[in-house]
Amino acid sequence: MSTSLVAPLHVAYIRALGDSKNELSYHLSAHLRMNAVYWGLTALLVMGHGDALDRDEMIDFVMSCWDEEAGAFGAHPDHDAHMLSTLSAIQILLMQNALHRVDVDRVVKFILSLQQPSGVFAGDAFGETDTRFLYCAVNALSLLGKLDKLDVEKTVAYIRRCRNFDGGFGAVAGAESHAAQVFVCVAALAILDRLDEVDQPTLCWWLSERQLPNGGLNGRPEKLEDVCYSFWVLSALSILGKIAWIDSGKLEAFILSAQDTESGGIADRPGDMPDVFHTIFGLAGLSLLGYPALVDLDPVYCMPASFIEKLGLRKGWKALQRRTS
Amino acid sequence: MHNVKRNPQTPEALAEKNQREQSKIIEFLTLTEDVLSRKKKQEWSNDAFELTQRLLQINPEFYTVWNYRRNILLNGIFPQSTPEQINDLLSNELSMTTTALKANPKVYWIWNHRRWCLENVPDGPERNGVPSMEWRQANWDKELFVVERMLDADARNFLAWNYRRYVLANMPTRRPETSELAYTSRKIGANFSNFSAWHQRSKTLVGLWESGQLDPIQSRDDEFELVSNALYTDPDDQSAWIYHRWLIGSGENKAQLEREIQLIFELLQEQPDSKWCMESLVHYKRLLLQNHSPDSQTLKQECVELLSRLMDLDPVRYFRYQDLRRDLDQ
Repeated sequence: MSTSLVAPLHVAYIRALGDSKNELSYHLSAHLRMNAVYWGLTALLVMGHGDALDRDEMIDFVMSCWDEEAGAFGAHPDHDAHMLSTLSAIQILLMQNALHRVDVDRVVKFILSLQQPSGVFAGDAFGETDTRFLYCAVNALSLLGKLDKLDVEKTVAYIRRCRNFDGGFGAVAGAESHAAQVFVCVAALAILDRLDEVDQPTLCWWLSERQLPNGGLNGRPEKLEDVCYSFWVLSALSILGKIAWIDSGKLEAFILSAQDTESGGIADRPGDMPDVFHTIFGLAGLSLLGYPALVDLDPVYCMPASFIEKLGLRKGWKALQRRTS
Repeated sequence: MHNVKRNPQTPEALAEKNQREQSKIIEFLTLTEDVLSRKKKQEWSNDAFELTQRLLQINPEFYTVWNYRRNILLNGIFPQSTPEQINDLLSNELSMTTTALKANPKVYWIWNHRRWCLENVPDGPERNGVPSMEWRQANWDKELFVVERMLDADARNFLAWNYRRYVLANMPTRRPETSELAYTSRKIGANFSNFSAWHQRSKTLVGLWESGQLDPIQSRDDEFELVSNALYTDPDDQSAWIYHRWLIGSGENKAQLEREIQLIFELLQEQPDSKWCMESLVHYKRLLLQNHSPDSQTLKQECVELLSRLMDLDPVRYFRYQDLRRDLDQ
């Protein structure tokens, strides 16, 4: 348990992730490597240590994951291109000021080829569909400055079909509302300037009810809290201007209590094993809550706000003011 | 990683664990390299097919290998198989992934592979010279059985619920929607706190009302009775309250709204500190104000008082209640 952020330990923890090649779990998570690099880099940037990992090595890794046949990025060299790893690759290159390395025309073609007649996107050629992939498509196209290629009406129409009576959104039409899917749908609508599609009073009520007495947030009614929802729930509240509707002090204390204060990293909940996924989403939550000395994070793109502002893509979200101590 | 307890180890213990893992790492990496190099060469052989199975048993999240496996079937094995053999192969795939799913109920790629298998079951066998739908029928029916076992193990698994909806919507012979209503009754009866089942019930009922299979007025009253039981059983559980809010909807039916307000008021008498009673009363009284009695100072005053109590009782959401109170003052 700790009441303050042990940032140097988290920086060391992330730096050491690439050195764990003698652990089986490192190899068994190769299919997530590109995402993990994005999570790690974003976490470092939020803590103001973007240079803790070697830039050239990182860019080389990203480029080595290019799938020439599909025209997009896989999660690891020789893995198939996928929407998830393609967005992460674009985000990493952007944060390393190396976006010029992307073959934009081919990536845009890959992304657009995955839109289905219903408006949703598939993750790859085998066609699993999910609003997560729709968000990845919208996010990536906007970062590449190619949103004009997207059929916005068709895309928004699918999100509308995923909206439930509780104001939330599910993974596919008919699915139960889930905070992570709420994030992807709300953020996609924000990018498309279509937040009028959100039933804001109802959704913000539902989101505020995700906070549990211990301060943590859950993803659905009557489920356990988990640090990653600090971002999924909080980002949506931030985009809708309603962070005040939950108790930020209690959430902050909960995230901090999930830190591993010996080896660094943040876990899903106190006492559990940390991982880079919960580390970034815990830090992202803390940034939105105005935690001192952290860099502003853009909740729509889950990247440092300065990159998004430089591209002129900033939307009207609101975070809590950064505290000085 | 979810739900894995932190277990700090001494450097010696860690080194020992890594030592033990070395042979497994070598085995995994050798197999991976073998499979990926065959994939690169577009090898569609039975050998490669077997190797993908071994690799996926070690790591069911290796999506590239699932893709390769499907491509081997499509490009190498199916073209040399009779429809009956294809059906057998896909049935085997489904059995193999049932085992994988039980161990990894939240791995998207496994659910995805099953979808692909189901969609590729051929027509047949032939009956009187015409291909029947029996193979499809058998596989999809079995699938519904599998997904029910998955929901027995974890009644909130949203991947399983999404898959269930997919199976119900796509099986060759659709089941009557009333049977899905009965299924949600069973799930809710087993646990009032299962919001996933309440959600499914709301979707099923809309279908039944729109198609005229159920009378919306009578059926809605039945639902109010069901949900009241749940509210009285555990007034702190969100699930039934959220469902109740769906039943009320935008509150156009004044008599219904007043009846439910009265009922919740009575529950509040029994449970004077029930946050959800108060929260719901505020919501429904605001609907009365908006739709039926815009000038009622009494209703406004009642809402303001409830909101003040909620601010004390549920300080986590203090500013939401404050915002609602401010809106009433305007």
